[in-house]
Amino acid sequence: MKKLVFPVCLLCCVAVLCGCQTRVHEVPLDRAAATTKLEPQDIRRTVEKMVESLLVAPGVKEFVSNRRPVLDVEPMQNRTTQHVDMVSLTESVRMQLLRSGMFRFVDRSSTGTAAIDVARIHQENQLGLVDSTKAVKAGQQTALDMYLTGTLSEIKNVTGRTTDQYYKFSMILKDLKTGEIVWADEQEIRKESTRPAVRW
Amino acid sequence: MKIPKHVLAALILTSGLAGLVGCRNTSGTIVNTDHLTGQSAIIEENGRLAHRVNVVKISYDEVNGLKRVHFALASDRNRRTRIDYRICWFDVNGMEIDSQTKPYRNLILEGRDVQTVTGVANSPAAVSSKLRIRETSQAQ
Repeated sequence: MKKLVFPVCLLCCVAVLCGCQTRVHEVPLDRAAATTKLEPQDIRRTVEKMVESLLVAPGVKEFVSNRRPVLDVEPMQNRTTQHVDMVSLTESVRMQLLRSGMFRFVDRSSTGTAAIDVARIHQENQLGLVDSTKAVKAGQQTALDMYLTGTLSEIKNVTGRTTDQYYKFSMILKDLKTGEIVWADEQEIRKESTRPAVRW
Repeated sequence: MKIPKHVLAALILTSGLAGLVGCRNTSGTIVNTDHLTGQSAIIEENGRLAHRVNVVKISYDEVNGLKRVHFALASDRNRRTRIDYRICWFDVNGMEIDSQTKPYRNLILEGRDVQTVTGVANSPAAVSSKLRIRETSQAQ
């Protein structure tokens, strides 16, 4: 029996040491919910749902019938207490709509983009390095037809050990000429977590 | 030293259980639909899921030049079933179109309930779709 003590101790030591190693591995993009906060899979699902809903909306069909309207996507407003990168979410929506081929896009709403465009045109013309006949003149950019915007809001309830978190993404597509809302949709997410009765 | 038989049996059982806990079956149910011919094929690769969720109806149409597909999923259990599903699209050459833009969505099926899930193609080039269903517990 005494002969077994050393190998067993050695095995235990190896097991403990293996457990101390930090393990890193890639995981699928769409995992099961781990917290009540907004997670990457929630954002991905919301973007997909909104884009699908917009692409098949009857109002959009009427507008798009014979042309590709020019669209701008404004960063969504974050009305929650969490930090959520709304610009990233907006960019994902724009990217998917752009790939559908139904719309053309301008990038006026991104912070500072319009000012950068003006400064570049001005700089090109001022430096005198470019052929003046080929230089881009200001005032030729494509005009907007529609813009897409939205909000993210939340309701949080804590009852005892249970936290109930509700999120709502709302988006609208507005015709700039008439001011009409061409499309609107919502995506709701509700999560619940319960703290263990005994905490370490 | 001779190890007693009951200790040996316990060791084998423990290691077997530990091995099984580490295994997670991530296969599920797949429904391939060809929107040009209208043919659909249901492939059930996970027996447990196949006994819990059934694809009872497949219908498709076209909206704004984009293919759209509906699947009616029925629960065969009396209890709540949590599943994830994903609908991806393929072009005429069988190549998947923008696979990253089609994430798994979650669905909660109440006991004996039927729910319809919908997918819209992300490009007019899409001609066939694939629905993949997995149990939510597989997404950990």
